[in-house]
Amino acid sequence: MAYNVLIVDDSATMRALVRKVLKISGLELGECYEGANGREALEILENHWVDLVLSDLHMPEMDGAELVKALRQNQMWQTIPVVLITTEGRQEVLAPFFEAGIQGYIRKPFRPEDIKEKLQNILGEAWVPDAGELEGCDF
Amino acid sequence: MLESLKAATFEVLETMFFVFPERLEESTELFHGPGLRAWVPVAGPKKFRVGLTVTLPLAQEMAANFLGLEKDEVPPDKLEDVLKETANMVAGSFLTQENVSEAFYLEPPQALRLDLDDQDWCDNSHHLLLAVEDDGLEVFIEKTK
Repeated sequence: MAYNVLIVDDSATMRALVRKVLKISGLELGECYEGANGREALEILENHWVDLVLSDLHMPEMDGAELVKALRQNQMWQTIPVVLITTEGRQEVLAPFFEAGIQGYIRKPFRPEDIKEKLQNILGEAWVPDAGELEGCDF
Repeated sequence: MLESLKAATFEVLETMFFVFPERLEESTELFHGPGLRAWVPVAGPKKFRVGLTVTLPLAQEMAANFLGLEKDEVPPDKLEDVLKETANMVAGSFLTQENVSEAFYLEPPQALRLDLDDQDWCDNSHHLLLAVEDDGLEVFIEKTK
């Protein structure tokens, strides 16, 4: 199964990096959509099937907290796994997001292996590795 | 506090940029020519900013490593973007290491180009001067209004 992934981050540079890491992670990647904030993410979700959302926390217009809330309140989207990719590491800040139903978070800075491990845990046996070992892989 | 900032800087630079800073006595002599500075305002009960300043060649090396490109393939306008993202990660990692209250939060990063020869370089309790081979790297935390 190929996964359609939505990357939400206000930094185009960071979106490009995450996309690159996903390609070498072993995840069978279908479409890879990008949004610069929560509002753009919702617009993409209105028009495309998405299997996984990787979202930053701090973004202008509509931040990650508002995006998670909107997803969990919508019947169509409430089961889509959401993983935060954020500089935030303080547990008291992240706790409400877990209560809201996110599947996990990846703290920046991250190694490609961190993303691979997190997605393996979340997607479980649906994971289809095909890219070999990441060791020594230059992203 | 400076130890947390140093640890945050090393973690970010080594993990995502594959550059390995050192603290050298002659670090003050490594800031020449064009450079870039990026910082993140931190809002909350107190206001301050966390940032870094690098020489242009170091900015190019960091961007190339981050984006997986050769140095001469990095679009010039990406240098600020990459350095802003660096400052963002250093500031986030610093807040985590200091375990500051959730009342403090990061605002969008900013960046500017500057002539490094016009600046005074000092290593003190709020400014850490480092070396990455022959290039200077300053990390700082400063109070703001």
